[in-house]
Amino acid sequence: MNSLILLLILMFGGALFAFILNKFVPALRDIFVVLLMLGVSYLFFSTGISNRLNFDVLGIHMQWGFTSASYLFGIIVVVLGSLALIYSTAYMKGKDRLGYFYMNFLFSIGAMLGILMSRDLISLFFFWEIMTWSSYFIVIYSGNDVDRRGLKYMIFSAIGAYSMLMAIVIVNSFIGSFLLEDVFASIFAIGSGYQIAIAILLMIGFGVKSAMMPLHVWAPRAYSESPMSYTAVFSGALSKMGVFGFALVLFNLVSTQNWLINEVVAWLAAITSVLATFYAVIQSDAKKLLAYSSIAQIGYIIIGLASNTYLGVMAGLFLAVLHAVFKSTLFMAVGAVERQVGTTDMTKISGLIRRMPWTFVATLISIIALAGLPPLGGFVGKWMLYEALITSGHYYLVIMVFLSSTAAFLYSYRILFGMFLGQEEPEFAHVKEAPLSMLIPMLILSGISVLSGSHPGFILEPIQSAMASFGFQSNLPHESWWELTVLFNTWGDKVALVNVLTSIVGVFLIALAFITIKGYKNQRYVTTKDISSSGEIIQPEDNMTFQIDFYKPFERAIWPLLKRKIDDYYTDFGKGLEALFDFVRRFYNGNGQFYAIYVMAFLALLLIAGTKYFGF
Amino acid sequence: MNTILIQILGALATILLAFIVGMFYGGAHRKVIARIQNRVGPPIYQNFIDVLKLYSKETSINHGVMQHMGPVFAITASITSLMFVPILTDGNWFSNLNFSGDLVFLVYMMVFGSLGMALGAGQTGNPNSAIGVTRGLSQMVGYEIPFVMAMVALMTQFHTTSITGMIAVQQQSGTWLMFSNPFAFMAAIMAMLGMFSYAPFDIVTAPAEVSSGPISEFGGKYLGMMMTSGSIFAFVKLALFVDIFMGGASNLVVLVIKTFALYMIPVLYGVISPRYRTEQAITYFWKWPLFFGFIAILYAAF
Repeated sequence: MNSLILLLILMFGGALFAFILNKFVPALRDIFVVLLMLGVSYLFFSTGISNRLNFDVLGIHMQWGFTSASYLFGIIVVVLGSLALIYSTAYMKGKDRLGYFYMNFLFSIGAMLGILMSRDLISLFFFWEIMTWSSYFIVIYSGNDVDRRGLKYMIFSAIGAYSMLMAIVIVNSFIGSFLLEDVFASIFAIGSGYQIAIAILLMIGFGVKSAMMPLHVWAPRAYSESPMSYTAVFSGALSKMGVFGFALVLFNLVSTQNWLINEVVAWLAAITSVLATFYAVIQSDAKKLLAYSSIAQIGYIIIGLASNTYLGVMAGLFLAVLHAVFKSTLFMAVGAVERQVGTTDMTKISGLIRRMPWTFVATLISIIALAGLPPLGGFVGKWMLYEALITSGHYYLVIMVFLSSTAAFLYSYRILFGMFLGQEEPEFAHVKEAPLSMLIPMLILSGISVLSGSHPGFILEPIQSAMASFGFQSNLPHESWWELTVLFNTWGDKVALVNVLTSIVGVFLIALAFITIKGYKNQRYVTTKDISSSGEIIQPEDNMTFQIDFYKPFERAIWPLLKRKIDDYYTDFGKGLEALFDFVRRFYNGNGQFYAIYVMAFLALLLIAGTKYFGF
Repeated sequence: MNTILIQILGALATILLAFIVGMFYGGAHRKVIARIQNRVGPPIYQNFIDVLKLYSKETSINHGVMQHMGPVFAITASITSLMFVPILTDGNWFSNLNFSGDLVFLVYMMVFGSLGMALGAGQTGNPNSAIGVTRGLSQMVGYEIPFVMAMVALMTQFHTTSITGMIAVQQQSGTWLMFSNPFAFMAAIMAMLGMFSYAPFDIVTAPAEVSSGPISEFGGKYLGMMMTSGSIFAFVKLALFVDIFMGGASNLVVLVIKTFALYMIPVLYGVISPRYRTEQAITYFWKWPLFFGFIAILYAAF
């Protein structure tokens, strides 16, 4: 049997089997899902990209198979999926309806693999819908408040799906084939207006999943309210399907004459990232903060893709991989805190660093990667993005990216301080470190973040072959530069990552030794109640925590930008429609006598009009 | 072997130079303020006495490992940034890692220290520290934008993103970049006021409001290390501005003259100014500096 079919049968059959297994032998369920996912990962890595499967369904020719580009995203999906499932076994312990949860979890991973292996638009759409539905079922998993949290996601997904479907129909009416390679080959032969229409319709479909402004309003709730083990995949991998789709559209369906589309997309993404960052700064719930931050980070990725330069696209794809790594770690860490403490509201928790040190380490590393500070991988991606934008003449766009990533320092600090630093309150004295099966996935992912900072080559190499399959040729001064640890831009300026790492680590160790060797043994730990307080004596029960209105001054400074949310516009639109329907309801008021009058009036009108204009 | 030795010695010499110059400038700052307030003021070498005293002290308490590592993060960032900033335009002694990084890297490297320091301050649990940190980070969003606009303007104008490249441009043309793109210089200088965090932008350590803010729980060796780091970092910022806008320096005397002239801008601006509120300090940078940055990019691109 072809390994592609085997992959999908294992995934979807395994999902159903997990559901049934949970009914009869719940004890085996966790082991089964983890082993299944590991098996699928093994199968995925042994499949390779040359495998093609052709078949006909109802007279429509279809093709499945991975390209180097979709393989790159597939790696994200299977690695994150496996780690998130391992994490999930501990995180979801003791919750009910686990059969339902794991079935939809595996369905959505299977659907993502299906999307990536589709080489025709019909199966792409088919798997896209499975992904939407299975993720919708997990968003409403907890069961309470379903219409508020689920409805928005469903409505936006439906909008995306319809516009995608429309684009597919238009494409087929012109080209007469659903195969991607046929479409790519002959798309530029059809009229320019239709080309743009197709691109925009498809981008609406993909933009919903990648939470691009103004289609992002579903994301904060959906990300923050599904179980964290799934949000790690939701934000890490599922949103990357939107990015993958964007890449397909921008590189293969938009001709270079329509550069304006690229500019518009890049600016929309830039505005998305700035505003989402500002919203993340003013959040006080860790999950919501990370949800907004995901929206902002995907903005960077799409800016990179839309910049349409070699370095920029490379930066976009690198950031896509890295965002999957560090953001899922962060969601996992927040999930660990939620499980151990019971809340993620940062105005309630503080000072967990000595209770959950390993979770803190994982969070710290991922936050450094997120903020883009030098020795870690985030810096590599950010550097390439900045240099790509500067060297290609996007001067004001690069300022937007800088604004967004400088403001990102604020929420980066907020999440570290809010959960782990600050006053150690006695009510958290009993909190224990998260179990090992939650820590290991986090620490593995943090390790990838660290390694990607000094030796980004191991990520850049698959990216480079992915870009070749999108049709990009390197224009950088050093042909084989991704094997090196030195970054170059098109003007020949460089950053030698190993020198940076050596300098930072060297100075850090010397300074640490200097301050530690003499006298650290004699130092004693004092509690956070024992602090300088201008003469006042702080009692253990005094609350000295600073968490509420953390960035109030900053909020005041950016207030003009935040006054009106996009959400409000949709609400207004909804209200307008409601008013319209109310108006219509005045006529259709359910009273038979009124309807009889309408019929009479219509007949009378017809009679008068008929005699006057039509002459009968 | 010989080259490695020379490199290490060169790095040590650079650190020592930065430390001494930065310390003297700190002393000069105190002196200038005192004279303007009609006091005698401490001697100019007072900061050396302070830092020596702090290093010889024994620190007996801490609030945890992150607090212990906070000053180490700060000094790591200062020294690493120093390694990537060209000190003199020629000569081998001070060319540490000048060719391994560019301006975008340096902008990020300079943030590293304050964030590491913020982690240490956070663990102390002192609410004043946390308030100071939030003020500092908010202000950073303010001044970083005009600064980056100035840098982007210069990068696009001269098609290089490296500092050595900018120096080479100035040596070839013979004009300082502060005259080649005056708008960029104005935006950058106004951003520099915020970078130095002297009045009116001293909201982070605001003594009468948040009792020295982030550093309020650090004493002894920790404070000594932070003073060292602060002095080196002040020198790094000045040397960077001299390199970019004033054509670099060919020898140490020229370097000291140029950096001192530059240093007096935030000092003298600050000494006659009261303190801003935090949101005023942020929006200050989003008015004229942003405008100049905007014009600078237009000027560079067209």
